[in-house]
Amino acid sequence: MARLYQVPSHARPWLTAAILAISLPQLLRGPFWQVLLLLAILLWRALMDRQRAPLPGRWIRVLLLLGTVGGIYLSFGRLIGPEAGTALITSLFALKYLELVGRRDAYVLIIIGYFVCATILLFQQGFFVFLYVCLCLLLLTASLVGIHYNDSQARSRQHLGKAAVLLLQAVPLAVVLFVLVPRLPPLWNVHTDQSQARTGMSDTMAPGQVSNLAESSAIAFRVQFDGEVPPYRQRYWRGLTYSWFDGRTWSQARPDDWGDELTFYSGRGTPPLWYRDLLERASDRPYWGYQVIMAPSQRRWLYALNTPVPEFDGLVLARDRHLVATEPVTGNFRYRVRSYTGVPLTEPLASDQRALMLSLPEQGFPRARELAGQWRRQYQDDSALVSAALDWFGNEPFHYTLSPPAVGPDVVDGFLFNTRRGFCEHYASSFVVLMRAAGIPARVVGGYQGGEANPMGRHLLIRQYDAHAWAEVWLPGRGWVEVDPTAAVAPERVELGLRGSLSQAGEARLPGDGIGRLPVLFQLRQWADLLEFRWQSWVLGYDLERQNQWLSRWLGAVTPWRLAMLLLTLAALLVLVTALVMFRGRGPRSATPLTREYRRLARGLSRRGVRGAERLSAAQLCERIARRWPAAETPARTWREAFERLAYQQDTAPSIGALRTLRRQRRRLLKACR
Amino acid sequence: MVKRAWQNWLARRLPRDHQVQLNQRRIFILPSGYGVLYLVVALLLFLGGVNYENNLILALCFLMVSLFVMGILHTFRNLSGLTLRAGAARNGFVGGHGGLAVVLVSQGQPHRSVWLSWPGQDAQEVSLETGEEKAVWLNLALPRRGPVRPHRLRVESRYPLGLLRAWSLVALEHHCLAWPRPREDAPSPWDGSGGSGGTGRHGSEAFQGLRAYVLGDSLRQVDWKGYARGRGMNTKLFDAEEGERLWLGYDRLEGLPEEQRLALLCHWVLLLSEAGQPFGLRLPAMELAPGSGDEHRLRALDLLALHGNEGGQR
Repeated sequence: MARLYQVPSHARPWLTAAILAISLPQLLRGPFWQVLLLLAILLWRALMDRQRAPLPGRWIRVLLLLGTVGGIYLSFGRLIGPEAGTALITSLFALKYLELVGRRDAYVLIIIGYFVCATILLFQQGFFVFLYVCLCLLLLTASLVGIHYNDSQARSRQHLGKAAVLLLQAVPLAVVLFVLVPRLPPLWNVHTDQSQARTGMSDTMAPGQVSNLAESSAIAFRVQFDGEVPPYRQRYWRGLTYSWFDGRTWSQARPDDWGDELTFYSGRGTPPLWYRDLLERASDRPYWGYQVIMAPSQRRWLYALNTPVPEFDGLVLARDRHLVATEPVTGNFRYRVRSYTGVPLTEPLASDQRALMLSLPEQGFPRARELAGQWRRQYQDDSALVSAALDWFGNEPFHYTLSPPAVGPDVVDGFLFNTRRGFCEHYASSFVVLMRAAGIPARVVGGYQGGEANPMGRHLLIRQYDAHAWAEVWLPGRGWVEVDPTAAVAPERVELGLRGSLSQAGEARLPGDGIGRLPVLFQLRQWADLLEFRWQSWVLGYDLERQNQWLSRWLGAVTPWRLAMLLLTLAALLVLVTALVMFRGRGPRSATPLTREYRRLARGLSRRGVRGAERLSAAQLCERIARRWPAAETPARTWREAFERLAYQQDTAPSIGALRTLRRQRRRLLKACR
Repeated sequence: MVKRAWQNWLARRLPRDHQVQLNQRRIFILPSGYGVLYLVVALLLFLGGVNYENNLILALCFLMVSLFVMGILHTFRNLSGLTLRAGAARNGFVGGHGGLAVVLVSQGQPHRSVWLSWPGQDAQEVSLETGEEKAVWLNLALPRRGPVRPHRLRVESRYPLGLLRAWSLVALEHHCLAWPRPREDAPSPWDGSGGSGGTGRHGSEAFQGLRAYVLGDSLRQVDWKGYARGRGMNTKLFDAEEGERLWLGYDRLEGLPEEQRLALLCHWVLLLSEAGQPFGLRLPAMELAPGSGDEHRLRALDLLALHGNEGGQR
């Protein structure tokens, strides 16, 4: 066998670092054995490079390959699809490092590395993730430079520097390409794996579900307002309504005879009656105009303030005034909404709808029914009854907590009369049960409440822990009215958000809490949020439509011809500028370091009034210096001796050390010239 | 036909010269095989980015493409400005190898991993830092007697990325001399009144004195005893009488073909030099006065190589 190729020792650190950095995101996500595999490979390779271990034989390599493929299949249940595919390619990439036997393999390894880099971006697309991928790219490029430069003078740092220069020079052109290269529609259909964990509200609500969300600080969605940001207590982001209760779990429901065409409006075709009615009532009402960027939730629910009138683009409006995406949200999904405030909705309640909104399980919660009956006898007026109920929640010793105790078999009675410690879903659920028992149509609403305002941009950041559940009751003459029983128990929840209310109550810490409250870090976090937001809206959301919009502002009509011309012109211009910077001053600068040193001295002297020094010889120059500044005679002589020694040594160029000494002596000389 | 046109075009663009500085007229640049692979990967990323509607994968693809474009500039720059100068030559016998030195001079910027090769040869790699000057010896096969000029020298570099190769085909004004291959199976061509054989003659001459050793003097005539006594290195001078001069003559080998005559002369030149015997050489067009020593030998060999070539070359 021919001698085993070794990556040059000065390039090896970069290649190893690149492989580690590229694999890291997959290692964090994937099964643990991948970590062990990578470490084993790196160790073996390190031993090979030090001649302590042989190249693994063909059988071992085949076994490793089969083992990896089998392991992926066992861990993921498949070999294709983004998750399994990425895991597979990452491990194969690492395996390739083990069987590097020629420079050719090193090239192939590095070039495949560029591809593996891209798979990181399939799963995470934040700004910092992209920076990380750029770092991987830098390491790869440094390795590429390194395996190329076979010389004993080569140093590792040089490669990284060269790669950094190349990458930085590449950025402007990449930006131009990014902005101008037309965004094509997908060529064939691909879907990200559906088995991904879904986060956010679900289509049913059982006790403990919302409070689970409260432990996640993942971003649910971001909102950019056209104008002012509404005050905290008005930020109720409606998601979906739950109308059916089986005694424990709330789920979505609609009357039997409501078909899809009656329930949903997609913006196409004749609008249904309720939509026309909505528009009519909403006209000339004040509204909040905003844009929402939904984070991937793998679900179809979208969120908006009450009463939303969206721009129909990939979403539909439901009759109960919530928005639904036509496809599950797998990427960042952007939509625009106008939310009209104070729209009186006196839509009459049809009898079957009314029956649904009053429905309760046959059995269960006798004490709640009894209490509701007592209120009904006391108050004729529905709104008076609602206020009385809220007062009752406020006056009884209820406690707002994230970790409620176990309630027992009857979740309503158990909570209302025994434990009295609960999270918003307990309050919403039991409140609606009480209302229905009292004969008032009511439903539970799931969504988010609040959101962190970023003072630097007019946008809100809504995280999973802002998830909330509240109630809506139907009052004659007023229609559906939002009621938040949680607000009656813990007003600060609605005023300050979950963090504020819980920290007042001395509750357990929430994720990201503590350090998130130091002023400096808080500021930093807000900057980071703003950055992520801009990143989302400018970079990730730069699609065909925005590209056209943006380009038509510059080009007028966007024709392929104009686009191509602009692209070529800009690219050529950038390359030209880079070339000019790179080749600047190359021609006449054939001056030796010594000549340059001499010129520097001459320039320094001309600033001190000695003109034409460049045309003098070193000896004449020193003479003139000595005449003018007698004190400078000695340093001038020292300098001249050093200079002449270097200038008249024929065979070799002056060493760097000698030049440095000369430079020091020039400085000393110039300092003495005063 | 195409080849001839290409050679003509090259000859116009890169005429033969003693010194050539590489510039944009003289450097060609194309993607290497790995460069094509790299672009294929970028294309895959583009397709992936479009299909998954993933802007960042597209951005990565564009970054790769721009990196490639900047690679063109850097690869070009790595060769650009490099000066190549014809250096010394090491002559050799026909059928063997000679050597030619190519001196690379860097002005103002480093040139890394530059490969030099003649067609059909393994390349030699050399790296130059700013202001450095390096001579690279390249072997040259010597197929026939006389001055042998190499083909165009291929100067290639793939630094820094290896995705592109920049190259130039440089014709330097230099050549190797191919000496005739020595032959011994024929009459001696010497001509001298001394008349005795060619070996072991220096003892019979009158010792004239010593002079300081000069590079090129035969080591056999060094006064080693004196050297051992610490008197320094001196060369013993002998007075070869006029009549005893030894002449190797081309015309003494009548009846033999030209190349054989030269081969024989070459053999004797080597033999006499080995023995330290002074000799002169007479060729139809040239004459070398009698002398001895390494330098004399080389001059004689060169004359033999140049026989019939005195005017032009090749």
